[in-house]
Amino acid sequence: MKVAYYPGCASHGIAKDVDIATQLIAKDLDLELMEVDDWNCCGGGFMDDKNEAVHASLNLRNLEKVEKMGYDKMATPCSVCLNSHKVAADKYENDPVLKEDVDQRLKDANMEEYDNGVESEHFIWVLIRDVGIENIRKHVKRPLSGLKVGTYYGCQLLRPSNVMGFESAFNPHSVMDLVAATGATPVAFPMKTACCGFPLMGSNPTVALKMANNILSSARNEGSEMLVHPCSLCHLQLDVTQDKIQRQFKQNWRLPALYITQLIGLSFGYTPKQLGMSRGSIEYLRSRGIS
Amino acid sequence: MEEKEITVNIKKYNDKDGAFWKSYKLKADKYTQMTEVLRRIKSEQDPSLAYRASCHMAVCGSCSMKINGIPSLACRTIALQAVDEKNEINVESMDYYPGVRDLITDIDVFYDKMYKVMPRLIADESVLMGENEQRMTPENQTEVWKFQECIYCGLCVSACPSVKEDEQFLGPAAHAKGFRFVDDVRDTKRSERLDLLMDSAYRCTSCYMCYEVCPQDVQPVIAIKKTKNYLDQYKGNTPITIMARKHDDTVENLIETTGKIKESTLFLKTFGFGEAMRDAIDMLKSGKFKYAFEKDSNVKNMNEIKGMMGEKK
Ligand code: SF4
Ligand code: SF4
Ligand code: FES
Repeated sequence: MKVAYYPGCASHGIAKDVDIATQLIAKDLDLELMEVDDWNCCGGGFMDDKNEAVHASLNLRNLEKVEKMGYDKMATPCSVCLNSHKVAADKYENDPVLKEDVDQRLKDANMEEYDNGVESEHFIWVLIRDVGIENIRKHVKRPLSGLKVGTYYGCQLLRPSNVMGFESAFNPHSVMDLVAATGATPVAFPMKTACCGFPLMGSNPTVALKMANNILSSARNEGSEMLVHPCSLCHLQLDVTQDKIQRQFKQNWRLPALYITQLIGLSFGYTPKQLGMSRGSIEYLRSRGIS
Repeated sequence: MEEKEITVNIKKYNDKDGAFWKSYKLKADKYTQMTEVLRRIKSEQDPSLAYRASCHMAVCGSCSMKINGIPSLACRTIALQAVDEKNEINVESMDYYPGVRDLITDIDVFYDKMYKVMPRLIADESVLMGENEQRMTPENQTEVWKFQECIYCGLCVSACPSVKEDEQFLGPAAHAKGFRFVDDVRDTKRSERLDLLMDSAYRCTSCYMCYEVCPQDVQPVIAIKKTKNYLDQYKGNTPITIMARKHDDTVENLIETTGKIKESTLFLKTFGFGEAMRDAIDMLKSGKFKYAFEKDSNVKNMNEIKGMMGEKK
């Protein structure tokens, strides 16, 4: 099956491992990821802070490219990119004042009016809906039994649920289902749908790190040995930034934080190194006999 | 009407005994609201049960609580729709506010935050003297309407992760109320309002929790984002707004010149060389430093990007 694929800036930059893992498991699952032609940054949760119409236009440009490629669905491995495209498309459809401004901008860019015909989806939605959990299970060569994995969703994948639409904002289970498919034991924890704090890193990093620490501690308190998340920006916040958190909160523990497709990749038999993981995760997995 | 027996587990609380769960059984039909469930429990089974409710139609904002962990208005929740597969419902008081008794919390901190943002229209003197008329366009009315619909229920603040960690954050409801006047053409105090709101706006983490729980669809996070749209008009500077300005300008500039964001440049420009170096050391330690040099191609058709970003608003 062919799917239009929007990697997003972070997963082509310092969250490259997110892209690596997504590509690896897609291949095994016969998903052909067709990168969106000449895609641009979606502006994440920031560009609308500057100008909503510019933000919406940037996102619609990507969706229009997907339409031109002949697809009606665009998958992304990043919750923030997903949220950005979905919120932009929703505003375009429901806010006539904004639509007028956006249409003018598209015209100024010599582009056509957009007819809102492309659905943005998270890569894990494609895994669940199109590939199917059973099918994923069939590809598991190394069941991760015995590994207790905290299942984190964060904010952008779930909210606002009237726009995101895939699952309940308070009782989601997509990440849990995927973890279970790898043979690992999913661990639900109280802060599984809270924000990791990444968006505050650019303005109020002290509080941002507190939020990240709340997530990690909550997962750890429920017995998680590691944590999986669905977002290339959560990945930055909960993985590499953990060193900062350790310093700030004088903490002597670390909870390896993986992108969900990295965990699936492990169960498909790839090594932590092939999946581009950080040293901390590699070492922890080795101590659990996974290398 | 078909009735079903349900079990309602309520987290009770008082100063003497602390918090404890108590279960009640009763019958409900498909129209029974949770406020009605609570009323029946109080009048038929447990007179000590304390909760607030008044209008029973999502107007007064007094029946806020957590139902099955979800911040909700009890009067807007239908019991049979809320039960789990065992026909049970869990009811607790809202998070964040101090408990008074059972489901009643003290939401003074919510009112304080509302009060801080000058929650009233301050019209031009000439209008007050009757020399001029107040006028607004339908577009302007549409823009502020949504943010006016707050019923002071306090749910968004109870669910907001930033309010919990940051006392200086005014919180979602106060921001919606504050912005509603910032953007009202009839108001005369825009710059004072921006002074009150701007630093606080950058304490919101854009997690959309307030949007999710608000029973009135006020969408406070959108009000906060729209407040940030006014950053260029804000004349003040606080450590938070200085950093936010650097960060957001860099984002805009990177998109304008390459169509994409390079996170390492963003870190460098936002946090400055020292902090960015500390980040680089962390990346080096984690074995991910190589990714900082990943170079993605710029957008080819930059004319399209430039056209869309056009004149800045
Ligand atoms: S979006 Fe902002 S105001 Fe709303 S709940 Fe999240 S942090 Fe609080
Ligand atoms: S903004 Fe919505 S959730 Fe918040 S207090 Fe007002 S009505 Fe309640
Ligand atoms: S009783 Fe008034 S809002 Fe629920």
